[in-house]
Parts: sequence; C-alpha cells; structure tokens
Amino acid sequence: MTSLITFDHATLGYGRRVVLSDISFDIPAGDFLGLVGPNGAGKTTILRAILGTLVPQQGTVTKALGLRFGYVPQRDSVDYGFPLKVLDVVLMGRYDRIGLFRRPSKSDRDLAHAALDHVGIGNLADQQLSALSGGQKQRALIARALVGEPNVLVLDEPTNGMDLVSTTQILGLVRELHERDNLTVLMVSHALNEVANYVDRIALVVERGFRIGTVADIMTEETLTTMYGIPVDVDEMHGHRIVVARRSQPERLEARDA
Amino acid sequence: MLSTILLFREALYGALVIAIACSVLGVYVVLRRIVFVGAALAQLSSAGIALALFLGGMGVVSGLAGHPTAFALAFALAGAMFFGLGGGQRAGVPPDATIGVGYAVAAAAGILLISKAKSGEAHDIFLSGNILGITREDTLVLLAITIPVLVAHALFYKEFLFVSFDRETARTLGYRVTFWNLLLYFTLGLVIAFAMQFAGVMLVFNFLVLPAVTGLLLARSMSGIFTVSVISAVVAAVVGFSLSVPFDLPSGPAIIAVSGALALLAWPVRVMQRRG
Repeated sequence: MTSLITFDHATLGYGRRVVLSDISFDIPAGDFLGLVGPNGAGKTTILRAILGTLVPQQGTVTKALGLRFGYVPQRDSVDYGFPLKVLDVVLMGRYDRIGLFRRPSKSDRDLAHAALDHVGIGNLADQQLSALSGGQKQRALIARALVGEPNVLVLDEPTNGMDLVSTTQILGLVRELHERDNLTVLMVSHALNEVANYVDRIALVVERGFRIGTVADIMTEETLTTMYGIPVDVDEMHGHRIVVARRSQPERLEARDA
Repeated sequence: MLSTILLFREALYGALVIAIACSVLGVYVVLRRIVFVGAALAQLSSAGIALALFLGGMGVVSGLAGHPTAFALAFALAGAMFFGLGGGQRAGVPPDATIGVGYAVAAAAGILLISKAKSGEAHDIFLSGNILGITREDTLVLLAITIPVLVAHALFYKEFLFVSFDRETARTLGYRVTFWNLLLYFTLGLVIAFAMQFAGVMLVFNFLVLPAVTGLLLARSMSGIFTVSVISAVVAAVVGFSLSVPFDLPSGPAIIAVSGALALLAWPVRVMQRRG
C-alpha cells in the first residue's frame, strides 16, 4: 500500500530538548491509526511533525506529493467568543483554496452544507457555533476538516471531555468516515480504551518509548505493562477490548508513603 | 449650540476618523481578549512623544520636538511587534503581565520625560489629547493612515479572522500565522500611534474597547459586530462632542461617557435577547 507519511529515524523536539528520538514508521493510504499516550509524552510533537509545523532535529519526515490534511483541533482550542455561525466556521476549511482577496463563493457554500450533511448536522448550519453541544461542535469541526477535501483526516483528542454517548457517537462517525469514504485517519488520544476499539493500528507514545503495531499487537498485557510501567490486564467483552490497570497493593502504597 | 459645534467641525471630522478606525480594529482587540494591548500601545506612543520632546529640549536631536510623530510611531510599532510575537511568553512571563509591564513602564517614563523636557508644559497636551485642536490637515493625515489600514482589513478579513479564531488549524492549512498576527498588530500600532496624538491615551482606549463591546452585546455575527461597533463609536463621538462644546465639558471624557451609556443600554437588550 502507498505510504503517505514516512518517519525515517526522526528525532523530534523543541530547541535543544529532545522529546522523541530515532522513530521510524509509515502511515499508508487507508490506514486508521490511533496515536495514544499520556499528556506530555510526545503525541502532539509527532502530530506537529506530521502536519509539517515541526521540523525534525534529525532524520526525516516525508510526505506523499499532494497530501492534504483535514485537521480537527482540540475542541477547546478554538475561540467560542467569536459570534460565528456553524456554516462560517466550516467555510474556513476552504479558505486556503479560496485564496487571498476573495470571498467564499456559492460553490464553497454548497460544499460546506454538504459537509455538514455528511456529519449529520446539516440542520445546524445557521446556528451559532457557541450554542452547540460538545458533540455537535466536534461534528462542525470535522465538517470543516472534510470540506477542504483532505487525503488524511487528523483529529486531536476528539472525545476529550465528552460523555459516554457523545464519545461513542463521535468515534462511530470517524470510523464511518474512514470506511465509507476510504479516508486515511490519524486520531490522537490519551484514552486507550476508547481508541483501541475503533482504529486499525495503534502508535503508543509513552515516557518509556514509542511502539507501533496493529491493535492486536499492542493490546497485550505484556506490551502495555512494559510500555506503561505498571501491571495491566487486557480483557475482552462483547468483542471490545478493555484495558484495566491493576489496583496498587496497600502494602506497596504504605511502603511508598514511608 | 449648532453654530458653536460648527465652529469646531474640523475637530469633529478628525474625531470621527479616529472613532471609525479604532472601532473596527477594536472588534479584534475585544474578541482576542487583548484590550490592554491597546492601552499599552497608546501609552508607548505617548512615551515616544515624551522622549522626542525631552531629546529636542536637550538639543540632542534638533527639531524632533516639532515632529514627535516619528518617535510615537517607532515606539508603538516596536510594542506592536513585541506583543504580536507573544511578548515575554518564551521567557515564561504570562502575556497579560508583559502588557501590564509595558503599560506601567511606558506611562511612568512618559511622565518623567515630560517633567524634565524644556517644552514639557506646552506639549503636555500630547499625552492627554486635544480633540478640539484637530485641524483639517490633521484629519487628512489621519485619513491617509486609516484608509489603507481599513482597506487592508477588508481585503484580509478571512486571514485575520482565521488566525484569531483558530490559529492551530490555520497553521496546518499553510497560513503564516505569525505574519498575519504581526500584520494585525502592526495596523493596530499604526492607528494608535496617530490617533493617540489627537485623542489621547484614554479616548483611544475607549474607542478600541467600548464600541466593540456594544457590538458584541447587540450583534450575533461578525458583520453585525463591526456595524454596531462603528455606529456606536460614531454616535458617541457626535453626541459626546456636541454636548461637550456648548456645556464646556472636556470632549474626551464626554465621548467616553456616551460610549459607556451605549454599552450599558446594550446590556439589557442582550439579556432580553437571551431570554427570548
């Protein structure tokens, strides 16, 4: 399968600080990759290298020609103080195609409406973005990413702060977009349990290092215990994988307190 | 009363140019939560004027006392670039603290320099503003500055909006976020540096904040905010000015009082809109 993005012995960081060193992996066309790990471990650093806003300190990150990202930022990173209608926000996904000195055309508006229909909120086009629920806001941001006609959909913590229902709906929508539109998807999350049941592959980014593989490869007690540094159990329920960290023993806690 | 106002019509025209320009830029200032950048830049401009007067009085740089605009502009633009690049964020200082430092130091420096400038008393009016002193030439200068700025804002509306609303996504779409931010701050510095010399720090700050707040309270779209902001600034300038002349009130505070009244009137309207 064609590789869209290739990390070749890439060392990533900021200034003199190295966050991740010597990582190599490919993201092929049609992949659904979950980039999973705790905050501060380097997920965002890898994401920035993929999006091209961070240049590797060593090694290379190469991208296929004509690659176009549809980026869905963390929901709270946009400023809801701006009095913007949902349609206005979705149109932003076409701004770079529209170019300087020009305003969105009817065709751009039609595409924005179609993108909203595609994610199931076509009826909310004229609503204020700030008035929407968390799940609806996320759908609007996904529509904005789709309206730019991307090859790769990139989502940064799409379910952060959402309840069970919204989380399930958003992850279901992303999975549907991947399958229905054959869209390559890269999803960043700290919630391993959520991601593991929707993606095809997982890239685990933790303090102890970086490991990438299929869900079956990564979701083993051995791998996760090694990577997270604490004993974990991996179980399966109704076809869903569940990771549970074993509860610390009281005597070990006492020993730590002492 | 009308004849008295007509006597000062040139000043009113100048005030209107300042009101319109500041109320347009003020929409970004308020929505981006950088209102004190406006105050700090105005204060930096005044410090620039004070330095020009001080140096001119000392004879260090001859002729500058008569042309303090260059110093005002240099200080405002330097400040705009500094704040536009994130201030002292890289050094770990929160942006609002950096703005506070800039404001306090510039204000104190301006007062100290003016107190020791030979022509200080005569030019003290530069710091507090003198709307009534605006001449036709001053208005033409203000137009020469503000028209290109407003045209730039109309042309680059998409870009300014995008980098203000969601800079991370703008960056991923290839936008040079730092460039657009700096351009936005540059236009802000440019307008403030010139407006401040006639309107003073307090009135410029008012035009940057209150009309946009009124717009934010009454409108539910970006075009609506811009429209209400400009209209309320124009109304405040005309009404405040018209009341100040016959009643012998200071023009700046009179205009600010009307701006404040408009914002206060907009408040219950907003509350009713939300309930309705």
